[in-house]
Amino acid sequence: MKDKVLHKLNILADAAKYDVSCSSSGSSRSSKGGVGNAKSAGVCHAFTEDGRCISLLKILYTNYCIYDCAYCVNRQSNDKRRASFTPDELADLTINFYRRNYIEGLFLSSGVMRSPDYTMEQLNAVARKLRKEYRFNGYIHMKSIPGADPLLVHEAGLLADRLSVNIEIPTEIQLQVLAPEKDFFSVFTPMNQISLGVMESKAERRKSRKAPRFVPAGQSTQLIVGASPETDYTILKLASGLYHQQRLKRVYYSGFVPVNQHDNRLPVIQKPPLVRENRLYQADWLMRFYHFSYDEILDEQNTQLDEHMDPKLAWALRNPHFFPIDLDRASYETILRVPGIGVRSAKIIVANRQYGRITFSHLKRMGVALNRAKYFILCRELPAATTAFYPEQIRRRLVKGSQDAGRQLSLKFEV
Amino acid sequence: MQLTNNPCIYTFNGSFEGFLTVVFRAFDDKRMPESIVSRAAQAQLPLGEMVHVETCNDQAARVCAGIVERSDQRNLRLFHVAFLAESAETNMLLWRYLQHLFRDNCREYYRNMLDEEVYALIQTARQVRREAHRFQGFVRFQRTRDNMYVAAIDPDHNVLKLLSAHFRSRFPDRHWLVYDTRRQYGIYYDKKSVQEVRMEAKPFNLNTGYIQKQARSMDEDYYRTLWQHYYDAINIAERKNHRQMRGSMPRRYWKYLPERSGK
Repeated sequence: MKDKVLHKLNILADAAKYDVSCSSSGSSRSSKGGVGNAKSAGVCHAFTEDGRCISLLKILYTNYCIYDCAYCVNRQSNDKRRASFTPDELADLTINFYRRNYIEGLFLSSGVMRSPDYTMEQLNAVARKLRKEYRFNGYIHMKSIPGADPLLVHEAGLLADRLSVNIEIPTEIQLQVLAPEKDFFSVFTPMNQISLGVMESKAERRKSRKAPRFVPAGQSTQLIVGASPETDYTILKLASGLYHQQRLKRVYYSGFVPVNQHDNRLPVIQKPPLVRENRLYQADWLMRFYHFSYDEILDEQNTQLDEHMDPKLAWALRNPHFFPIDLDRASYETILRVPGIGVRSAKIIVANRQYGRITFSHLKRMGVALNRAKYFILCRELPAATTAFYPEQIRRRLVKGSQDAGRQLSLKFEV
Repeated sequence: MQLTNNPCIYTFNGSFEGFLTVVFRAFDDKRMPESIVSRAAQAQLPLGEMVHVETCNDQAARVCAGIVERSDQRNLRLFHVAFLAESAETNMLLWRYLQHLFRDNCREYYRNMLDEEVYALIQTARQVRREAHRFQGFVRFQRTRDNMYVAAIDPDHNVLKLLSAHFRSRFPDRHWLVYDTRRQYGIYYDKKSVQEVRMEAKPFNLNTGYIQKQARSMDEDYYRTLWQHYYDAINIAERKNHRQMRGSMPRRYWKYLPERSGK
């Protein structure tokens, strides 16, 4: 019996690993009368050798699947070991991991077994057991299975903290090529239902505290990058729409990892496009925390993010008229636009400039990347010649030595 | 207030109240501390005149009240958190900070992050909070035969105090213990309140953090094995990035993490 669970765990964790979402933030629940709570800040419990955080027990209910999507490791035509949990096994596993503080909660996804309704019902059974029998108040993220009955999606929304429906392929034409059984309709129907449900529940809860919470941590989705020929511009435009219209909390970008025997619908690649994925996340951050809109980051003419520099620097170099910025006077939003200055340092600058003039040593202490920022700010400590703004020159200085392959996250900048 | 020029090294029992008592005494004696160290750490000190200060809760409370009066509650909290870094440098930083606050009576001083020392203090508090936040994740409980959950930790800073509210609200329905093996004390929750405890016997293996086999519940090794397997299975080998993993989960924390032990 115990060996059986270990066997299933090995198969179904392995099969779940390509879903990148793991965040446990944005919800808050108290342990009232049971075990566990959800913290709005989220907690990472471990980090795997690929550098990703383990916050939730990320696992599939089953890796049997009636679909045959080209990019998916669990597609029907793959000759793989298959397994399914039972709701009892999964609830027991979750609660015992949780009690040992291995995890922050459960992230339950699944292949589609028999039908979308049947699968969704199994996922709900796990969550119901945890919430009702174990009185578990930790974090639960569930996949809403495309095509499942709206009533089942609604029940899932009442049990889970977060629901997600993965779009995977950013345009419908490409989705139809790679996943013939899917279309945008089956993805966007539950997504819209959830976003509507979240809005309604918020309105209800404003009237009465007793109104039930529906998906309190909001919904998220995932886009696979590099499996199909979409440009970064298309991807960011889609993401921006998802943030504004469907009010998604997060869009995840997953660099395509070829997991299947070659399929001529998919590109042949040596390594997953990790740099591109990282640039998309940086652009996503600009949209969510830095008040950038997608069409400032890229446009119809510039459709790909520059792999050699971060998108904020690229924007700055395309918009020399915006600079230099006077840190003693400029607004918070303006200061946020300076390459090398982040949200935290921008806030410190605005809150503290009343006490004196901001100098280089202050900026350095705050963690500002001066090697980049110095070209874009007005500063009395620098000779005027240094601050004259020549984008080409700055580009050459900052991007030189960036071909340091192998390191995905930090480009080396020349000081 | 003018402090006379005959410095000495103050020692105290290592507690926050003890430290505040030192502050009270130093002001009272009009002496400038050369260093303020806990008695446990004094062995590594240079020579100098040493004065040991017995903790006085009343005096400590008066210093606390003074801090709140001259700044605010949040600042007292910041001060306490930074103190948990337990370093002699931080202690002196705190001392000079209090001098500004009390002697110079500059009310805005503590908000000014452009000041090097204020910033250093805020940074120190940040580091302590960061480690406390990390340990909300890195604590690994083991279930004992009598259904208690126990864990060993060995953090750089004295973060136990910052963890108790978190675990208390998360696991209100079980007895649990988190034990700091370096500082040799723990926080124990008995379903009513959290108390600090010291243990004579050493229940944890100092290399692995495990409790003895006969103390573990029957299912403990089973779930630990499942967790170790899960940790390996969820990794994507094609995306290996050891550097990033070590940045987020530094090697010094691995010894009590069953998923990293032996790696």
